[in-house]
Amino acid sequence: METLDLARLQFALTAGAHFLFVALTLGLATLVAIMQTRATLTGSAVHMRMTRFWGRLYVINYAMGIVTGLVMEFQFGLAWNGLTHFAGNVFGASLAMETLVAFFVESTFLGLWIFGWDRLNRWAHLGVLWVVTLTAYASAYWIMVSNGFLQNPVGAEVAGGVLRLTDAAAVLANPAALTAFGHILCGALLVAGFFVAGVSAHHLRRGTGEQEFFRRSLRIGVFTALPAVMATAALGGAQFDTAQPMKIAVYAGRTEEVARLQAEMVAAHGPGDYVPPAGLVQGSGTAMMILFALMMGVAWLSALLALFPWAVRRLRIWHVVLTAMIPLPFAAMLAGWVFREVGRQPWAVYGLLTTEDALSDLSPGAIRFSLAAFTLLFGLLVAVNTWLLARNARQGPADTAAAPVSAEPLPAPVF
Amino acid sequence: MEITLLAFFAVGYFVLAGADLGVGALLPYLGRSDDERGRVLASITPFFLGNEVWLIASAGILVGAFPVLEGELLSGMYVPFVMLLLGWVVRDAGIWLRGRVDRAGWRGGCDGAVATGSWVVVLSWGFILPGMGQESVTGLAAAIVVPAVVALFCAHGLAFAGLRLDGGPRERARRFYGASSERTIYALTSGGMALVCLLAGSRLPLAENLADPATLALLTPSLLVITPVLVASQVWLWRVFGRAPVRSQ
Repeated sequence: METLDLARLQFALTAGAHFLFVALTLGLATLVAIMQTRATLTGSAVHMRMTRFWGRLYVINYAMGIVTGLVMEFQFGLAWNGLTHFAGNVFGASLAMETLVAFFVESTFLGLWIFGWDRLNRWAHLGVLWVVTLTAYASAYWIMVSNGFLQNPVGAEVAGGVLRLTDAAAVLANPAALTAFGHILCGALLVAGFFVAGVSAHHLRRGTGEQEFFRRSLRIGVFTALPAVMATAALGGAQFDTAQPMKIAVYAGRTEEVARLQAEMVAAHGPGDYVPPAGLVQGSGTAMMILFALMMGVAWLSALLALFPWAVRRLRIWHVVLTAMIPLPFAAMLAGWVFREVGRQPWAVYGLLTTEDALSDLSPGAIRFSLAAFTLLFGLLVAVNTWLLARNARQGPADTAAAPVSAEPLPAPVF
Repeated sequence: MEITLLAFFAVGYFVLAGADLGVGALLPYLGRSDDERGRVLASITPFFLGNEVWLIASAGILVGAFPVLEGELLSGMYVPFVMLLLGWVVRDAGIWLRGRVDRAGWRGGCDGAVATGSWVVVLSWGFILPGMGQESVTGLAAAIVVPAVVALFCAHGLAFAGLRLDGGPRERARRFYGASSERTIYALTSGGMALVCLLAGSRLPLAENLADPATLALLTPSLLVITPVLVASQVWLWRVFGRAPVRSQ
């Protein structure tokens, strides 16, 4: 493969690995924050234990999101310095805002939440988690502003071979950013909803102790998943209006439309192939749609069944289905990303800068080395994270009941 | 102003995270048993995440206010920066995962990941810092500068360990101090860290590479407003967890 393909593969792997973790983190943070709010307001013991149990799974997953996110942030400057050179005046600023306005606070406050159980009063501790959750949303917003600009470059003009910002409001309210931001937030809640429901269903089916704990959790998961899947689908549909016409034409297989758009592009940008790879665009788009249809069906059925206490207690076939659903929203998320990103090829900044021109001047050896190293490392992290999540999820909340940190002056991050 | 902001966050990273990197690199020396290594790591775990975000913030300011330079700097030293990231990920994974499985072998593996990852990060900085503003360091310069940077990280880690630990690990850290107090040593090594960071940064063509004025007119005021909030959140973190040293049971 050429350096360009290797660099694209490396970016796709980094972004994909990062997003697997981030999707669950964003959604689960919201649910845990709601659980802790309820526990703090009412003094409910079961909600406090739920906060601890689901919070532990959240923290395990969060850690992996951070370490893959580090690589993500440096990826642009490392392999795509044509992008920072051409679009840095717009694209760089929103990345900068993400790191300082969102991620910095999020990380500092996450430390306070993890280790602060016994050191902060309960209201401060609750407030800390809400800050973590809301700054995670802010982080997603700024990333989508960056990505939305690449998809639909508004609010800037080319002058002297580089982009200059002309209308910041247009960049911040870019429809390609806002609809995708909403789509992803709801998608994250969908991931978390099915995760919580699926883990709870496993415990109910196995008849482990903690029946009340998991009956409540299952309902929270199911009643999160249903509105989330509907909102995700609605916001996904809304994006078709703002997506590039070429992406849609290729996805729908409208050959004449594709040929017309190709001719238009050639007239505007000179000779070249401006059609994204049809197999990947159609494959990922179709996979996303099928997965959505499945999730929608299961979410509706589950919301109905969750109204009947006997079903929540004993309907084993439903429990099996719910547990089997856990990976589906993750797969849909990744398929959606492939559709969005591959569909805008061959452009890095749509209509302005090609992916090829965005590539840094790298030696094939250097990119082969980094691709192999990151692939190995991320593969290992995904495997360890999945194993740890499954292990902790199966163990249940039993050992999270006792305050896990009071025994030690400064604990290792067992929580 | 953008240069001052960048310097502030970069110095913050080298002073704060420099200590936990040094502690990580010297983990096998400071902690001789599983239990001791656990306590050594406990001295940095509440802080390391809050420390490393100073570098993420620095990279953010670099890409926002000096985008062209960021691209050239990172791609120009591609392999050292990739090594830095690999070491960083391995080390963080070790710190995060150590307490997750209650087995000596698992903890040993994580301790190994923390130490190895920290060494890779520290060595990468040894190559990156003197290489700023030019291609890379080789030959005699590398033979002198790289070990000097590594030694500074280690000294800073020892100073921090002396402040935050007791018992065997503290004695081992103190062995290098002579008659000076932990605070004096920590102040000295912090100054060294700041100096190295500023020296390396001063060789970057920052003023020539500022982003377009229209971008900075919005970005810089936003960063100036948020910075005191960030500093306040860090002060809170250190006030909550930084008072009592990590004691043996």
